[in-house]
Amino acid sequence: MTNVEFDNILINFGFGSKDEKKHVLIQNTDKHVFMDLSCYDPSEFYAEFPNLKGSFAALFCDSEKKIEVHMKEKNEAFISKIKELGFKPFEISILSCGFIFPRTIVQIINEAHFALEENVASKKDIDRAMKFGVNYPKGPFEWSEGREKFVLTLLNELFEKTLNKRYLPSKLLIS
Amino acid sequence: MNLQKIVVIGAGTMGSGIAQWFTQQSCSVELVDNSGEQLKKALASIHSSWEKLFEKKKITQEELSKMKGLLSVKMLDQVARDADLVIEAIIENLEIKKSLFTNLDQFFNPKTIISSNTSSFPITLMSEAVSDERKKRFVGLHFFNPATIMKLVEVIKAEQTDAGLCKDLYNWFESKEKKPALSKDSPGFIVNRVARNFYGEPLRIAGTDDEKKMKEIDSILREVGGFKMGPFELMDLIGIDINYSVTCSVWDAYNQEPRFAPHALQKQMVDEKRFGRKSKRGFYTYD
Repeated sequence: MTNVEFDNILINFGFGSKDEKKHVLIQNTDKHVFMDLSCYDPSEFYAEFPNLKGSFAALFCDSEKKIEVHMKEKNEAFISKIKELGFKPFEISILSCGFIFPRTIVQIINEAHFALEENVASKKDIDRAMKFGVNYPKGPFEWSEGREKFVLTLLNELFEKTLNKRYLPSKLLIS
Repeated sequence: MNLQKIVVIGAGTMGSGIAQWFTQQSCSVELVDNSGEQLKKALASIHSSWEKLFEKKKITQEELSKMKGLLSVKMLDQVARDADLVIEAIIENLEIKKSLFTNLDQFFNPKTIISSNTSSFPITLMSEAVSDERKKRFVGLHFFNPATIMKLVEVIKAEQTDAGLCKDLYNWFESKEKKPALSKDSPGFIVNRVARNFYGEPLRIAGTDDEKKMKEIDSILREVGGFKMGPFELMDLIGIDINYSVTCSVWDAYNQEPRFAPHALQKQMVDEKRFGRKSKRGFYTYD
């Protein structure tokens, strides 16, 4: 995880464990914290830490650096800083575990892994099918490459929050 | 593999698009339907599409004439029995399809490849309607609408389909600048299975029939996710009834696996006849 600090604001980037994220908040009670919570439920963190003033999701961020941002309180200084760091923030009002884009995409990635696990098609053909059959900007495996650990973290978090078996991960994500 | 003589059965949107695409690859195509009126309409629409390409100088007069010469519309009993490939694109009704395949098996040369463009039925189940010998040359070829533009063709291997035939078809489509994907004969094949949660998860994020939330989700998946359309606007375009029916069909095929479960809101919308753009009311309202 990386921290960027200025004035009384701390921006926490990266996809650490829930305990690591909470530790950052405990250590910085005197600051207004904005934190990447791509893999978690921001509501849980807001309820526990009054110093958490906003959250964002950069898990599937590519070279365009577009991110979802939720602010408990409007904070222009944070928005200016995040733009200065090259990000394009898109403000959201919906509070959801895994935000909007990561939550949707991990479910597509999970299904692609189930299909691979069942030998329905190769990785290459699954990616190709989604890009050229329904115009996805990337194939599910292109999205998940190098991020499997975080995809699994978010699926586990969604399962813990909902106890809905739809979030149980493919064996290929666990191994 | 050299596919020259193609027969497309069913002159609806998919069948017409498939026939048009094959003709554009310089194949000789016979488009078949049991309605003369439908055939006339399909031919006029394909010709009109080519004439627009000619007006935009995308094709020459010579190419236009050649394509018109390569495409004909016929009744089934008038087509050549030595076709290289037959593609069925009729109504999604298993009994009607199986009965057609039994006739096709008897009608066409033993070497003819018989295929289905179904998105709903297992290819292996449909192949029960043909002889054991034909089963080796019976395959799923799932095109995407509009077939002349969308590059994907799912090549679906049924239990008894010759693996070499699937590979040859894959290579042939690739040589024609399609993007084939080889799939096992499992429910939804690749796309209709993997894409289910592009709808299912946003429905759960929104939770209720709240247009403001749906707009926000659509906007984020377009702007941040890079999708051409958001899930709610896309469901409205496809038809909420159609999307719900595909969801239920995949869910049932996977023994009601929770990952594919429809959302209560989908059923509610269908019950309220809010089908999307076609009924002027869906997740959004249209004037």
